[in-house]
Amino acid sequence: MTEGKKEKFIVPIGPQHPALKEPGNFEFTVDGEIVTDAAVRLGFVHRGIEKACETRNYTQDLYLLERVCGICSHVHATAFVLGVEKLAGVQAPPRAEAIRVLAAELERIHSHLLWFGVAAHEAGFDTLFMYTWRDREVVMDILETLSGSRVHYSVNVLGGVKIDIDQKLSDLIKKDMDFLEERTEHYMKVVTTDETFLGRTRGIGTLSRDRAKLLGAVGPTARASGVKRDIRVNAPYSGYKEFPVKMVIDQTGDLEARFVVRLKELYESYRLIKVILEKIQPGDIVTRIKRKIPEGEVISRVEAPRGELFYYIKSNGTEMPDRVKVRTPSLCNWGTITDVAVGHKLADMPMLLAGIDPCFSCNDRMVEIRSDSQPSQIMDWDGLRKYGIEYYK
Amino acid sequence: MNLSLHPLILLLVFPGGLFLMNIGLMYEWADRKLVARFQSRVGPRWFQPFADTVKLLAKEEIIPNGVHKIMFQALPIIALTGALTAALYIPMFGFEAAFSFEGDLIVSLYMLSMMTLSIGMAGANTLSRFTIIGATRALTQMFSYEAPFLLALLGPAIAAGTWNIGKINTFAGENIWLILAQPIGFIIAVVGLMGKLELPPFDSPEAETEIVAGALTEYSGRGLALFHIGKNVELVIGLTLVVIFYLGGIANPIEFILKSAGLFLVVSALQSMFARLRIDQTVGLWWRLGALMGLLQLLAIIFGRYLGEILR
Repeated sequence: MTEGKKEKFIVPIGPQHPALKEPGNFEFTVDGEIVTDAAVRLGFVHRGIEKACETRNYTQDLYLLERVCGICSHVHATAFVLGVEKLAGVQAPPRAEAIRVLAAELERIHSHLLWFGVAAHEAGFDTLFMYTWRDREVVMDILETLSGSRVHYSVNVLGGVKIDIDQKLSDLIKKDMDFLEERTEHYMKVVTTDETFLGRTRGIGTLSRDRAKLLGAVGPTARASGVKRDIRVNAPYSGYKEFPVKMVIDQTGDLEARFVVRLKELYESYRLIKVILEKIQPGDIVTRIKRKIPEGEVISRVEAPRGELFYYIKSNGTEMPDRVKVRTPSLCNWGTITDVAVGHKLADMPMLLAGIDPCFSCNDRMVEIRSDSQPSQIMDWDGLRKYGIEYYK
Repeated sequence: MNLSLHPLILLLVFPGGLFLMNIGLMYEWADRKLVARFQSRVGPRWFQPFADTVKLLAKEEIIPNGVHKIMFQALPIIALTGALTAALYIPMFGFEAAFSFEGDLIVSLYMLSMMTLSIGMAGANTLSRFTIIGATRALTQMFSYEAPFLLALLGPAIAAGTWNIGKINTFAGENIWLILAQPIGFIIAVVGLMGKLELPPFDSPEAETEIVAGALTEYSGRGLALFHIGKNVELVIGLTLVVIFYLGGIANPIEFILKSAGLFLVVSALQSMFARLRIDQTVGLWWRLGALMGLLQLLAIIFGRYLGEILR
């Protein structure tokens, strides 16, 4: 339309947008319907949890870190607990490790089903969205019966777990797993055969194996591109040594592959849960652990539903940690979106965003960029307040 | 049935004006409820669309900066007027059409297109980026479904040998249901109607996960309410047209209700069965498949009529 210089037509998605339930800002430069450039801006919900960890003791931190994510609260606690136990030289009893894995797999089921619904909604397939979320209630009910809470189950304590399973509960879970397996088979059929749905997923957002490796993709996103990256298999932790899982790999790397990989992981979770319920040994579920953790530092890695979750914990020999660093899987996967977005249609963007199963609140970190020309500023509380009032005037 | 009413009543109360708007809201409720039940949700109560409309009408209308104000306010009225005018030529509810003349089929189809045109212009009128993309998509979609939809409605018209909706209604009532004689035309008409009304899976002009509310993003209050009422009226007219043309016409109110309800079930089921089509997929579907099938159907009808003449 413009003569001479070409104006850019940028479509902003977020921080407030019906496609995103959490705040993040994406700017897609479009030429008609074709996306020519993409940019991500994060950091709208930075909460300072890492810093807050340093002023609380290890037990309190456990509850704080569970609240990093509303979907995968259990894996955060598991990563932290495993790290602290390693520092203290304590080994949780085998029954506790098995229950940790059980909770983690139930959480994976609920997370994947939630993602599946959201992704279907982004594709405008609301019926599938409603059906998956209805079936997700089954696993939410199990989690509630197991721990008393639907979201923050608080299964872990330092040195073990605080919930136990009995025969009645075990039978209930097995029955529900059979039901969910049947439903998942139906969804698998929809995802791989429905013409309209395939039109939105097949060949869209293809991420090659090399690009996935280069960009450091993790979790199902990487596995859909054929990268063998699963901490549960590569470096088994907790109960996964006793109850191994099979890695689910797909070579295509497009959105359809990501759907297939996640659904196949659901089968694997159902199988693993049934195996655990069969083979779990009676015994203690918790061992004692000292309040003061010996000096040292540790890296703890676990496989969250979205990929590798990384914890670095440094102890200075007191009751409180010196430093806790969290790196969530969503942060590793952002690069893949801006990489594959160019050349696709605008209508594909919400699907691409949903394809990595993003979780915004957990990946917001503060980064300080040091440069010589602009020295970093240190402000006290009053100064910061005044600056804020001036800024928004 | 033959009733003689005062022209003003015809225009303002029945079948035009008040009656149409109210039955439009009932249709919206039926649509929402059926889709909800298909999706295993509970769905709204019967007065929800009424409550929504009353609330919207009572609310302040915000006119954004940088728009042509008169156009911004006039477009919803034009859209609604177009839909209501189209209804006057259609035998509603089993009664005869309020007005009719030879060729009113073309006039009412043009009137129905006013809605999409208004939405497109409303989107292009505002500065928001979502509305501009929404408007582009709405107009693109119009260019793709309009031709096949028209072809699908021309089939029965040619078979009946008239362009008068009332006469086609009588013809359809006297002969076998045209859905049996022209099945392709029926499918194209139903799917074309869904495209016209921007129902899922053809709702990419207002895809909320991409462009918020499409062309109507900046509308609020009265303007939005009028657009909604207009769309509901269009839903009523569209379904009635398909019933008249393909499901054996309507001779009395009971037939009207039963046949419309049956068609409604089909349309709601179609709405909840598919993922949303991208705009390029929609255009491809209509021009590669819809238009060609419609043309074939039309040629077959013309050939059949020609053959019939010779044999006679």
